[in-house]
Amino acid sequence: MENYLDLFISEVETYIETLNKNLLKLEKNHEDREAVLEVFRIFHTIKGMSQAMGYDTLGQITHRLEDLISAPKEEGRINPELVDFLFLAVDYLTDFIHALKEKKELPSGTEILEHIEKVARGEMVETLRERHRARSINEIRIKTEKLDRLFNLTNELMIQRSRLLHISQEIGNSELTTVVETSARFISALQDEVMRLRMLPLSTVFDFFPRLIRDEAKRQGKRVNFEIVGADIEVDRSIIDVLKEPLLHLLRNALDHGIEKKGEITLTAVRERERIRISVADNGQGIDLAEVREKAVEKHIITPQEAQELQEKDILRIIIHPDFSTTEKVSTISGRGIGLDVVSAIVDKLGGRFELSTKKGEGTCFTLDLPLSLAIVRAMIFSLDGHRFALPLNYIQETFYAEETSFQTVYHRELYPFRDEILPLIRPGDYLNCTSNRTRKSIIVLQYQGRRRGFVTDEIIDEEEIVVKKLDALASSPYYSGCSIYADGKPILILDPRGFE
Amino acid sequence: MRILVVDDAMFMRRMLSDILEKGGHTVCGEASTGKEAVERYQELKPDLVTMDIIMPDMSGIEAVKEIKKFDPDAKILMVSAMGQQALVLEAVQAGAIDYVVKPFQPSRVLESIERLVKK
Repeated sequence: MENYLDLFISEVETYIETLNKNLLKLEKNHEDREAVLEVFRIFHTIKGMSQAMGYDTLGQITHRLEDLISAPKEEGRINPELVDFLFLAVDYLTDFIHALKEKKELPSGTEILEHIEKVARGEMVETLRERHRARSINEIRIKTEKLDRLFNLTNELMIQRSRLLHISQEIGNSELTTVVETSARFISALQDEVMRLRMLPLSTVFDFFPRLIRDEAKRQGKRVNFEIVGADIEVDRSIIDVLKEPLLHLLRNALDHGIEKKGEITLTAVRERERIRISVADNGQGIDLAEVREKAVEKHIITPQEAQELQEKDILRIIIHPDFSTTEKVSTISGRGIGLDVVSAIVDKLGGRFELSTKKGEGTCFTLDLPLSLAIVRAMIFSLDGHRFALPLNYIQETFYAEETSFQTVYHRELYPFRDEILPLIRPGDYLNCTSNRTRKSIIVLQYQGRRRGFVTDEIIDEEEIVVKKLDALASSPYYSGCSIYADGKPILILDPRGFE
Repeated sequence: MRILVVDDAMFMRRMLSDILEKGGHTVCGEASTGKEAVERYQELKPDLVTMDIIMPDMSGIEAVKEIKKFDPDAKILMVSAMGQQALVLEAVQAGAIDYVVKPFQPSRVLESIERLVKK
């Protein structure tokens, strides 16, 4: 067989070129009969060749591909999603030939076979467009690990940048300051560019949904007009990775409970400076406040008295309550909460906010307000007994001064009457072993998972953009979400307020 | 025996030619499309043709029909990758005498040829 190998390689390489050419044609015009035939023929030919060479897996793959294209071949047209998928198949073929040439281990083919079966069943395969885009001539593929390394290095540089600025300011030499400030600008620009390298369009996740909504709506016998806006907005890979699950929950909710027989669901992304707002809106009946009240009391989430005072703006806080979420489906509202506690938790973890607006008879809109990247957060720096800590700004609503003597204690719980509410206080110092005698405190009002808390600190120092680093040593502690290096070069711990509950 | 090998993949032609020549036959020509096959047949008048089915411009089946029109006694052995059994049947109706499915074993190819010769 060895003497046929070179011939096999060179011939398949030519076929790969022809395949790509024809797939590109089909991408422009999916009714190009000639191109469909050509693609079919080539896969068929490669199948025969692979089997003759004893490459059983490749033979099987091309055999199944041939099956996939046999209907389009008869019809003389092919659906665009299948074209996308075939690009992926050609990628596999390319990898295969590459491995043969380099005498390396042949790619396993299990994944592509699984994908083929999925496509054969009519399911979508994710991130196809993305993979295929990376194949065009002006683009190169970079392993994500390499990008991460580059990213980590620039983050280190960012830390040194703050130190340099700090030191040069202290020295006060104008020549030094000029050089340092110029360098600092370049470092920031470099950081920006590297951050941008890690960005992917939201379509990477969004593309998955139309098919899902269509199928699910069909199953439930509903007619849904599904629209996506802003899919080309780019966000950091770390966000993309975790976005799918919460959006899936929200879309399912909209479909299951928002829409009755027919209606519209819109998935919208809007970029607002360094943040992105993604909303899932339906034009259904909206969430009924009275039903939420009733349910919440029944589930002992709130007392009947509290229920009296419950307003529209409090609905979100109630429906993301885990006990509310697990409600069995008994009424139009009951299932509404399924998974919302999960969504809320993910959004918190990402340093985002979860919002709800609903109007009876008009519809419901859930919004995720997220940072564009997880690696850099705006944080408030405060001190406790001489130690400095950072708190991500997304949790913070406001701050104020208060004398310790005005704190009230009810059932061992410290409270502070703040405007028209009673704010439960948390003293992080008690948990972190740094309490001071200072009586004039700075209270940071935090909101997370629908709760408001007053964080008792000594003094607020600064508000700054910090680079978040994960520290394995901190992973087991509920109090910290990571660490960073402050401008003076000293490390600073970033608190996770949820750990203090 | 003088044989015309028709297949769109050079790799396949080479492999098939090797098998045939080791079996004591002569490959008098090769063709990579249906059209070419018809032309080469008329030009070379081989004793036997091995014919692939799925090829550019003219399918193997069309080629069989064309060759049969030109020479009703033409002996044609279809060589096809699996999964195209329906087409093989069609080819046999069009006048092919036997068929071999890829991946072929050399012995199977040569046996088929022996059988064809005896007919």
